[in-house]
Amino acid sequence: MAERKKGFVVAAVVVIALALVPLVVAREYVFSILCMIFLYVTLSQSWNILGGYTGQINVGQAAFFGIGALAARLLWVAGVPFYLSILAGGLSSVILAIIIGLPALKLRGHYFAIGTLAVASIAQITVGNILPGISFLPAQHMATYSLIPRYYVFLIIMVTALAAVYITVNSRIGLGMEATRDDEEAAQMVGVNTFKYKMIAFLISSFFAGLAGGGFAYFNASYYWYLPFTLMWCFEPILIVFIGGVGSFIGPIIGSVCYVLLKELFALTLGEANLLIFGIVFILTILFFPKGIIGLPAKLRQLFRRRGNVVGR
Amino acid sequence: MDLLKVENLSKSFGALWAVNNVSFTVGEGEIVGLIGPNGSGKSTVFQLITGLLRANRGTISYDGKDITGFKPYQISRSGIARTFQIVRPFPEMTTLKNVMVGRAFGSSSARSMKETEDEARRLLDLTGLTDKVSATAGHLGLIYRKKLELARALATKPKLLLLDEVMAGLNPTEMMETVEFLKTVRNSGVTMIVVEHVIKALFSMTDRVVVLNAGEKIAEGIPQEISRNEEVIKVYLGDYEHA
Repeated sequence: MAERKKGFVVAAVVVIALALVPLVVAREYVFSILCMIFLYVTLSQSWNILGGYTGQINVGQAAFFGIGALAARLLWVAGVPFYLSILAGGLSSVILAIIIGLPALKLRGHYFAIGTLAVASIAQITVGNILPGISFLPAQHMATYSLIPRYYVFLIIMVTALAAVYITVNSRIGLGMEATRDDEEAAQMVGVNTFKYKMIAFLISSFFAGLAGGGFAYFNASYYWYLPFTLMWCFEPILIVFIGGVGSFIGPIIGSVCYVLLKELFALTLGEANLLIFGIVFILTILFFPKGIIGLPAKLRQLFRRRGNVVGR
Repeated sequence: MDLLKVENLSKSFGALWAVNNVSFTVGEGEIVGLIGPNGSGKSTVFQLITGLLRANRGTISYDGKDITGFKPYQISRSGIARTFQIVRPFPEMTTLKNVMVGRAFGSSSARSMKETEDEARRLLDLTGLTDKVSATAGHLGLIYRKKLELARALATKPKLLLLDEVMAGLNPTEMMETVEFLKTVRNSGVTMIVVEHVIKALFSMTDRVVVLNAGEKIAEGIPQEISRNEEVIKVYLGDYEHA
């Protein structure tokens, strides 16, 4: 309990400090890096509640991110107030999740992973064909473009997503989700309607992925319409969650910070080769540190203890 | 009054009738043993009662209601809990959380997370898992996992508990403790069906025994009758009599 209280205090301090950053820092570069970190925290934590806590591997997160971006951008450019557009983006993503989840989550095993990957591929191709061009911001939006409101939008989305996930996974719903992940039949045997908890996780996950997409649509002055649907957005959240620590609350946060900073560093020094590096890091993480950065201290302790024993003998 | 009534239950896997026209009843407060050689259909009967398998024919009524075809989680909520022959605690979760799941769902869920946790801790004390509260369930030894599964089943507040070979792998002292523990569970008002190969332990606690062989019921009665039944001795108990 005391631990939890300490955690809340730390979280509150961090959020307040982040809210004050624009008053102190003026460099645009810092803002855009922080915006990217907030975006990836949202996206990876939304993947984590479904994949890490409920055991349903969504390989098509891009579809949910993309549809949120698409709906928000279309409405916003058409003149709808931004906050309504972004909510509509989140809701479109939820509707997509309902359409996919109703059949796919009834089944056990790999059907869900395959289904979501198929949906993401179809979405990317469809959007690329229907809207092959670039989405430019209308002149009146360009004239008033500033990073500061974007910064706050990403911050608010992230804090809301983190709060929602935290509350959910620490409630009765969270117990149902984790039981579903560990053993569906055994979970049903103690009264858990596993389909319901998979669905709840999927809806929360898709809503925040859609909001993150809306943030993307608000942030970028111009981009190809299909860009938020590209498979990169499928793999990045998975990569981040596994590097940070799958099924833990802090894991995706740490993973996102590391990912964005390293990506920035590699992109400057290595260009496109940075993808290769992350691919290798991902494989090594899965093989040797299945609990990610979060599990690292325990893993090292274990390694040293083993070595200590050998020396002792 | 009958708490559970199984009538003409049949289940086939392809051409094989794993359970064939089996009927029996379990009265409220009884402990009924379910015995028979390997492959005689005991575990299948459990899978049918708990809804993990669907019967080809026959009905299962519980507490006066027909529950045939109910989903497993609905059956759990109506007050039936079980343990698995090969234990299945939630491996990535702590011992405490495992039991909290049972307490948060099951037939009557606790009102708050605080109450869920408190009652889960009490059950862990009761089953001798106090010092394993924060251990990851998948890392526990077999005996502890068995105890944990029992605690999780009890956490759902069942009226009917199905136990599938809880004694297997226990030493004689642990067996005696388990028998005593199960008797206290019964005294608290829980009815039980017990599948068990350790006949001595089983007979020491059951009111009635149902014997299956090759999917069919071949005998039913109090333990003393069953141990003298010639057919039962022939197909199953032979060794036990001489042991």
